[in-house]
Amino acid sequence: MPIFGELELGTIAEELPRLRDLDTEAWELPKAEILQVACEIADGSRALLPRALHPAIPEYVTFVVTRYPESPVGPFDLAQVRLMARAGVHPRGYVVGAVASTASAASELRARWGYPAAPGEITLRRYHDRVAAMVRREGQTILEMALIDPEIVSGGDLQYIHGITLARVDGASQLIQVDPHYTLHNAARGRAHVSRFDAAAWHATPITLTTPISASVSTSDTDLPRIRFVMDPEAPVVRGTRKVR
Amino acid sequence: MKFGLFYELSVPRPWTRESERTVYDNALEQVKLADELGFDQVWAVEHHFLEEYSHCPAPELFLTACAMVTKRIRVGFGIVVCVPEFNHPIKIAERTAVLDILSGGRVEVGTGRSATWTELAGFNASPDVTKKSWDEFVRCLPKMWTSEKFEFEGEFWSMPRRTILPKVYQRPHPPMWVAVTSPGTELDAADRGLGSLGLTFGQFAEQEKRIAEYRRRIQLCEPVGEFVNDQVSTVNFLYCHEDDAVALQTGRQMANHFNYLAAQLISVRETYPSKSYPSLGLLPQLRRQATGPEASEQAGEGLCLGGPERITRALRRWEACGVDRVNFLLNTAETIPQADVLASLRLFAREVMPAFNGSKS
Repeated sequence: MPIFGELELGTIAEELPRLRDLDTEAWELPKAEILQVACEIADGSRALLPRALHPAIPEYVTFVVTRYPESPVGPFDLAQVRLMARAGVHPRGYVVGAVASTASAASELRARWGYPAAPGEITLRRYHDRVAAMVRREGQTILEMALIDPEIVSGGDLQYIHGITLARVDGASQLIQVDPHYTLHNAARGRAHVSRFDAAAWHATPITLTTPISASVSTSDTDLPRIRFVMDPEAPVVRGTRKVR
Repeated sequence: MKFGLFYELSVPRPWTRESERTVYDNALEQVKLADELGFDQVWAVEHHFLEEYSHCPAPELFLTACAMVTKRIRVGFGIVVCVPEFNHPIKIAERTAVLDILSGGRVEVGTGRSATWTELAGFNASPDVTKKSWDEFVRCLPKMWTSEKFEFEGEFWSMPRRTILPKVYQRPHPPMWVAVTSPGTELDAADRGLGSLGLTFGQFAEQEKRIAEYRRRIQLCEPVGEFVNDQVSTVNFLYCHEDDAVALQTGRQMANHFNYLAAQLISVRETYPSKSYPSLGLLPQLRRQATGPEASEQAGEGLCLGGPERITRALRRWEACGVDRVNFLLNTAETIPQADVLASLRLFAREVMPAFNGSKS
């Protein structure tokens, strides 16, 4: 059996986002700009990964910075650090840290989908030779990354992996599957470059970046959907998954 | 229809000093028995870094050992990865020839290009050009085996005029195949006059359609070798037991374990957008089989798990689809005790094989 995560849930349970319930209404999020950078990491991240999940082979992270020009809480940007994993046989991105550009977005993302979002400043800029993003919190740059030399690809060449958050629901810790839909209008890929990553600021101290993998950028109509599945973070998902709807 | 074995050589955790040796020893014992029972071929893949799923980076060494303990069974060297960072084409030609000599002309060669980020990045190979390097390799290999002297200048490799030695034992050269997982690759095989070495499980209707198109297309091929290999091979699980229910339960456990381990790997498309890998290949199908509606069926469509009658029915369907050969995975991560694997092979040979042409009765 593949190895599992080794997160000591008790050490973070009290800090987890608290969901009101699992009846979160969907948000339609048209014309989103999504910059994603993937990078292999050194061993040692298993301490961050819930015991229900398997680490990817090799271990890697994705940084996802998304600009949502329209949403029920107004325009906002969201940056995520995701530790890539397997929930049983399914690839999933476990969200270890998130920053939202408005306080209301951070609050709603925590309460509705369990994103561990904190308010901060996010920039996402397109240049002719790169697409760059920067995330700042409390006066410090905690992520600076770019897609270098964009090259147009078909939307079908991109695959977005669904996310998983860890939150408290009715007093218990639960993994929440967040599985948006994407209708891509354009897409490009390029080389990945991460010039600054403050792991501690993302509650991801064990993560050390090693080999850049790839970067992509797209414009897409997407959503944050209703919650469909939740999982027991301490049990293998084949036993611990519950279908909500 | 001919039958063979197919090895990934999966090794379960916890890994001990003896665990890998046990897997190799068990496989050799199975191959020896299969040879005695009349199985036609044994294949071994080339994989790297695929924890638990496959500990088989040097198939030609394993197959040499197979050849030394058997008399008739053919040895399938493949899938050999035709990407220069993995294998220099001269070395592929030379190792194939040595294996062909040592086995007395029993080699078949399966070619491919890897489908995982785990492996390609491990060798610092770009996924964008693997199809092109594979194409260059398969066009060179037959000439390297058959020409007295060979020289080449290509995009991915070049060599001045030299005599590549030794030459293969078979004349004109061993049959060549292409690993087929993604839809469309069977047409790449057909266009080059190469056999279709299918690595997907089940789904009769889909396979039948693809095989028909392969058969049509290969009529128009420009062969890369000295002859056209127009055979279609597919892979399947095998667990045969007198008690159908026992066979289904045990076999299903083995198949699910295989699918589970395969799903842990990082496919190229998961993390590296590339036109060179337009589909996810084998992995989505295995995920569906492990978790989708098929998982709750007694046995997935066309899987050779069950009593002899059930397996015979499945193979009849494959035969009707146009499949010439079926290669079986006998175990995954040693989930089935070795004695039971051997018993399954014996029962299959006694009760199922005689119903099909081309195999020992």
